[in-house]
Amino acid sequence: MLSTLIWFPVLGAIAIALLPPRHLKLAALIISGLVLLWTLWIANQFDFTNPLLQFREYLPWLEPLGLNYQLGVDGLSLPLLLLNSLLTWIVLYSSQEDIKRPRLFYSLILLVSGAVAGAFLAQNLLLFFLFYEVELVPFYLLISIWGGEKRNYAAIKFLLYTAVSGALILVAFLGVVWLQGANSFAYEALMGQSLPLWLQIVFLSLVLVGFGIKIPLVPLHTWLPDTYVAASAPVAILLGGVLAKLGAYGIFRFGLGLFPEAWATLAPGLATWATVSVLYGATIAIAQKDIKRMVAYSSIGHMGYILLGGAALTALSLVGAVAQMVAHGLILAILFHLVGVVETKVGTRDLDVLNGLMNPVRGLPLVSALLVLGGMASAGIPGLVGFVSEFLVFQGSYSVFPVQTLLCVVGTGLTAVYFVILLNRTCFGKLDNAIAYFPKVEWRERVPALILAITIVFLGIQPTWLVRWSESTTLSMVAAVPILAQPTIAQASEAPEASSNPVSQGVTTR
Amino acid sequence: MADIVDIAVNADGFKTLVTAVHVANLVETLKSPGPFTVFAPNDDAFAKLPPGTIQTLVQNAPQLARILTFHVVPGKWMKADLEQVDSVISFEGSPIRIDTSDGFEVKNATVLAADIEADNGVIHVLDRVILMG
Amino acid sequence: MTTETLSKPLIPPSTHEFADVIHRLEAGGSMLPDTPENLMQIIGIYKAYAVPMDFYWRDLLYIAEHVFLNPLPALKYVLPQEYLDLHNHYAGDDADLRIWRGEATAHPELLEFIEKGELKQKLPKLLHHLWHDRINMEFAEACMRAMFWHRGMGGQFDPYLDSDEYKANADRAIRAYFQGNPLMLGLYNLFPEMFLEQVRELSYYANLGLFWEVMAPVFFEMSDLYDEGKLTTVPEAMNFLVNGIFAIAGRPIYHHVYIRGECYEIIPKSKGFMWLYEAALPYVEAVFYRTSPFRGTKSYNAQARQVPTDQKDFHYGILYADVFPVGSAGIPPTLLMQDMLHFLPPYLLDYYNQYCRGEDDMLIQLGVSFQRSMYNVTSAVIQALRTALLYPLDDPNPRHLIANRQFFEAQIDRFTRPEARLRDIQKQDYR
Repeated sequence: MLSTLIWFPVLGAIAIALLPPRHLKLAALIISGLVLLWTLWIANQFDFTNPLLQFREYLPWLEPLGLNYQLGVDGLSLPLLLLNSLLTWIVLYSSQEDIKRPRLFYSLILLVSGAVAGAFLAQNLLLFFLFYEVELVPFYLLISIWGGEKRNYAAIKFLLYTAVSGALILVAFLGVVWLQGANSFAYEALMGQSLPLWLQIVFLSLVLVGFGIKIPLVPLHTWLPDTYVAASAPVAILLGGVLAKLGAYGIFRFGLGLFPEAWATLAPGLATWATVSVLYGATIAIAQKDIKRMVAYSSIGHMGYILLGGAALTALSLVGAVAQMVAHGLILAILFHLVGVVETKVGTRDLDVLNGLMNPVRGLPLVSALLVLGGMASAGIPGLVGFVSEFLVFQGSYSVFPVQTLLCVVGTGLTAVYFVILLNRTCFGKLDNAIAYFPKVEWRERVPALILAITIVFLGIQPTWLVRWSESTTLSMVAAVPILAQPTIAQASEAPEASSNPVSQGVTTR
Repeated sequence: MADIVDIAVNADGFKTLVTAVHVANLVETLKSPGPFTVFAPNDDAFAKLPPGTIQTLVQNAPQLARILTFHVVPGKWMKADLEQVDSVISFEGSPIRIDTSDGFEVKNATVLAADIEADNGVIHVLDRVILMG
Repeated sequence: MTTETLSKPLIPPSTHEFADVIHRLEAGGSMLPDTPENLMQIIGIYKAYAVPMDFYWRDLLYIAEHVFLNPLPALKYVLPQEYLDLHNHYAGDDADLRIWRGEATAHPELLEFIEKGELKQKLPKLLHHLWHDRINMEFAEACMRAMFWHRGMGGQFDPYLDSDEYKANADRAIRAYFQGNPLMLGLYNLFPEMFLEQVRELSYYANLGLFWEVMAPVFFEMSDLYDEGKLTTVPEAMNFLVNGIFAIAGRPIYHHVYIRGECYEIIPKSKGFMWLYEAALPYVEAVFYRTSPFRGTKSYNAQARQVPTDQKDFHYGILYADVFPVGSAGIPPTLLMQDMLHFLPPYLLDYYNQYCRGEDDMLIQLGVSFQRSMYNVTSAVIQALRTALLYPLDDPNPRHLIANRQFFEAQIDRFTRPEARLRDIQKQDYR
């Protein structure tokens, strides 16, 4: 059942490579549309109350190596699977009709989608690693073939960084298994391992740095602005919306999941690290003149909230962190998409040139309006999905790391600052008559933004739909952390015990 | 001597002007003692106006009277008197520019015949209908 | 264009910033370059403008003559049949001067639109009205208000509004209108100036209505001549307007009010007020040059002197306006463009569909065409003033030619401001 999510797109990618060139986009849309529907069906069948893995699949493969085909989904991966399927469809839908080398493009996108789904589903460390590495080359090609200026430089930089990231993760995985003396890479077998704390810390650090590159966290982020900016809008959506989530997912699944004690020990440092990321991303974003770069830096800041939520390790903050992954994926996707539309229509991303796009006839009124919405969501305005996740993170983290949380709240304020700058210069003011002969905005460009906007608003006013998937899983993850190991969290975890369903309560009482 | 109206009626080339004065009910006025100075456009001058101009004016006596009274100035202004001034004020109320530096010009019209004296004033013949503004 | 001046070496070429335009005017041309594309645009727009204008003038007169001081004029935009049948004085068989060969009653396309609207469906009038599927009289009122607000732009009409004679006429009409209405009469006794000011505004309704009564047939005739192939260049179109201006110059401007079947002459025809001096020239000054900034399209800071202190320095009219905000809700240009959109001739629809965003930004494309066409109308006004006040273009006297040159340069000086669109309309790709 879960295999379909991986192999259907992969087989689809192969099929597209063989199809005549006429209806490639339609074929790709149908394939990813079916995957999306399948994902929704799985979500429909998913049991929220069960914190364990569901829909498991097991196929023996290379037993002597301990590499088996093990899949499963839980509350941590399901929202991300949904996000992946949705964004893949949106990326395909929003791609240009006359894109060059369409066959390769659509195949690669589908391949990436399948591989990412595989990584989210894999319950075997080596299998995860395989999927994790598989999407590397397609992304390299997507950036270097369809990117903007400096695409080759950006693609190589991306490749090098992610290769290092993969190597570190592999070292950590191998180390855990060998030192443990286990004969399998199965995730569940490794969960209750009993390595000494200092070894755990070493491995956790490797995992953190490895996935930290992918997320990315400051100071491992330097590949990001170049890559995001050089990538075309659809690829940037996948990079920021999905691939970055793979990093965050990896940290939670394999950092927190495998080394809970070490995690608890490092938590204050992680929270501080998150705060640095948030403030750094926001302040650098304020200084940007290029709107795409601004959005790229905003991504660094917002990924910091996820780490903060994880570090605080309360039921609420962890749900918030998962929610933030989804929220950030949606918001970044709409922003990158709209910035891409602005760039193709106006021909520039320069804040000093852009103006008056709110103009009702000659400007890009709908694009501007949705850009305002995206900016508001990103800045955490109530009623939009960004508020829900950020509020949960802050609410959950404050009792544990008050200083870091407050500084992150300041980061949210800074987000508002750079979005006001962006929106004010881009959308408002007087449209420059000399340049204002922009082409029409097509429905192909409007629909993805509208779908994302509707999702952002819907999840903003109905947050249960966002958090209910992950509540039991995150609760069990918190429970897995030995309470004695970290006295700071002991006080905080009293709150979740007070009621059986703390998050929903937290959400509804707001 | 005859009055201004009689001179115009008896002279050749003022048919349009005479008709206009009748339509505008200005005959009585121009026969009164005055004295007046009349800048009288001849028939050729009226013919220079684009088609329809006269027709509309003839249909509307008050408006026609206004154009005509712009051609009339209170007092008897001989050419020699006009050489002393830059402009005079018409009955209509608007000023009329006078230029005697090179020939004898009234606004954008040129005087074809100056100083035709009448009982109640003087007539200067213009080659163009002058308009306010 | 410059080659034509070379054949007339009587005076040296102009050194003005817009020397090309000046030489073109001196050769009998328009400020708008003579291209078939420009001709098609301006004639198409004249036609599209004339149909709503046929409504504007009728309704303006209806409001001035019948609605008058109605304190709740809810139905002032609903024309009674009597005013739709009102004979235009410059069209039809019984015309004072037949400018348009068509009918004197309301234009057939206008009648169809009033009946079915842009929805092309016969629905109760109230539904059309609420859907805003109607002629935007608000635009006509905005033009009227521009004239009323600026005032003092030459002519005798405006000073007359402050005369005792006018106040006495207005007083009679006001008392007659509110006869048997102690409340309104009491208010009038308390605030007489307020009522007088309302009547002054209504006098400008009449003024503008009488002005446009002439322009609608002029534009219809131009469109017909173009369709018949008898109008082939931009200067020909301009000269038709120049002749029109002269032909109608003497048309009386007045304000009559009909109260219970009796006519009250607030401004009698016998005052001798003329179309050219009392309506056309103030209209051009107020609407083409001055008006005021559109609300809601750009912020102006009066303290930073972004708005002139003197009303006569206002330059926000159609010759200066930024057409690109057209489409913003409720601003006068949007209202007019929306009205014209309903009556575009097919060739102009095809033309707009080929450029920019086609149907999506037609409002702005036709706004730019409107700007071009109004530069042509302004050229006609400038040439008419030159004909009336100065000398023929082929005058052999160099002194006269210099006077013409100075006049043209003084007129064009008003377009040297950075926001003037004279520069833009020289280029065909301003659309």
